[in-house]
Amino acid sequence: MPRQQAERVLVIGLDCATPQFLFGPERFDLPNLQALAQAGAWGLLESSHPPITVPAWASMMSSKDPGTLGFYGFRNRADYSYDAMTTATASAIREKRVWDILSRHGKKVAVLGVPQTYPVKPVNGWVVAGFLAPGADADYAYPKPLKRELEEAIGEYIIDVKGFRTEDKEGLLTRIHALMENRFDAARYLMKTKPWDFFMMVEMGVDRLHHGFWKFGDPAHPKFDPGNPFRHAIHDYYQALDKRVGELLSLVGDETAVLVVSDHGAKAMVGGVCVNQWLMNEGLLTLTDALDAPKRIEDCTIDWTRTKAWASGGYYGRIFLNVEGREPQGTIPAAEYEVFRDELAARIEAMADHEGRPLGNKAIKPETLYKQVNRIAPDLIVYFGDLNWRSVGSVGFDGIYTFENDTGPDDANHDYHGIFIMDDRTGRGGEERAGLQLMDIAPTVLDLLGVPVPDDMQGTVIQ
Amino acid sequence: MSKNISVGLTGPNVAETANALGMRLIELGYNAEVADAAVVERLGGPEPAVFACGLLVRNGVIVIDTLSSVRPDGERLDIEIDENDTPDFAAEKILDDLAGVGAITLEETGYSPEEEERIRERLASLGYIE
Repeated sequence: MPRQQAERVLVIGLDCATPQFLFGPERFDLPNLQALAQAGAWGLLESSHPPITVPAWASMMSSKDPGTLGFYGFRNRADYSYDAMTTATASAIREKRVWDILSRHGKKVAVLGVPQTYPVKPVNGWVVAGFLAPGADADYAYPKPLKRELEEAIGEYIIDVKGFRTEDKEGLLTRIHALMENRFDAARYLMKTKPWDFFMMVEMGVDRLHHGFWKFGDPAHPKFDPGNPFRHAIHDYYQALDKRVGELLSLVGDETAVLVVSDHGAKAMVGGVCVNQWLMNEGLLTLTDALDAPKRIEDCTIDWTRTKAWASGGYYGRIFLNVEGREPQGTIPAAEYEVFRDELAARIEAMADHEGRPLGNKAIKPETLYKQVNRIAPDLIVYFGDLNWRSVGSVGFDGIYTFENDTGPDDANHDYHGIFIMDDRTGRGGEERAGLQLMDIAPTVLDLLGVPVPDDMQGTVIQ
Repeated sequence: MSKNISVGLTGPNVAETANALGMRLIELGYNAEVADAAVVERLGGPEPAVFACGLLVRNGVIVIDTLSSVRPDGERLDIEIDENDTPDFAAEKILDDLAGVGAITLEETGYSPEEEERIRERLASLGYIE
């Protein structure tokens, strides 16, 4: 059914909101979100590679893949030295995002809590930065007086959950709920007081909840304990979230098209693969340190003359090769780079788990994923065990598998699909949509508002 | 070093936009000067102002002309300010235009070294990096 142009567009972003809780056979009872889906269209939203908050939200809102954007995670190599890394802030984004484009077409925009919006940049409207703002003392709002105005209206603007890695789960759950309430208080205030054409918010609490509480609610998680007191923590949070979404929806009418999206999903984390430990075992990485306890690779002394590869950890692995003429003490002849990379990828993909079963790893060359590969990409992007395992960068473990996280408890990894709900007020009646990708969101928003879609956007308009 | 260029502004909020643009250019590491009525008067009128601003432009200073009368030699970007734009946002758009003609690059650092370390620790705590 052809749709009419919307007068306004509201985008509610729920970082890490995962499809099974909204759409699956064991979905939660979420009346507001599910009513929105039943009035409009819904489906799975394929994330970026890698499926991580940075670069995913930027990819979604610029309709450019991470290679084109030139960042592949939160921290990226600044150059080909061994230790220069930069954080991908708003300043790392050279491409225009939806609110930049809409601003240039005279639309009033309000942007709240979206990752990579710090340092804030002027728009035709208002910006409150997301969790990459350094702290409440930073200038996290545009225009500047908005910070004080917001704090007078809602109290402290909570940048993120403090003390995330803790065994005090009761306290953590309270803080995650507080973050969500605070973000929706801010959204309600801005939606009611600013004359916006485009409003977008991102709530990070869902992600923090999944990482902190997944094992308590998922009987398939290896650490699940059926008698635990947090069995319903995720369920209860989603219901509280749904109420706050409903409150925002009550502030808009049929003139406003609404999208609810997430940047990736979540799944149980089985354990961690100590990727640098594995590289050491394979004779590809040599340290001069004595290792009597787990230690960050950044804190180790690497003998670069006897090292061919090293890695960074996180929810996925990034492998870097030590190439002659590229790295300062490269050991892999440039002419052998591709052969070496292919062989290493094959060895990674052949890894077995702690019980000798194939892990099902994927070691991917960036240039096969992206339209362009800008700035410095990892030589290989690695998903361990179909993302059921995280990548542990630290060394000094007994083996290459770990089931405890040396930085504190974490029960979930990211999954390849997030959620998509769109009610463009054309009465679609709950159409399930397939084949959607993050990069489709930006052109869809522009189309909804009647703004031309730039030719270089890589996604397509969701009709 | 920027290209040798001047920017001419017309429309509403010219003075505020010129100041916002000048500050943003300086934040980005460029040299910029606003040539407004007061400056032109102190320089002795339009003719010496054009001469003085020409010297600035020749030495890589981006001159922002709010009078349309100071047109030094070199590349020129004439901007009509949109009446709906705030000075900050108008300045941001002009930065894009300057980048578009290769006069500047929009590379900015996001954090101070102390902030960078705070963020790195936070990201590690959250599990994003390790």
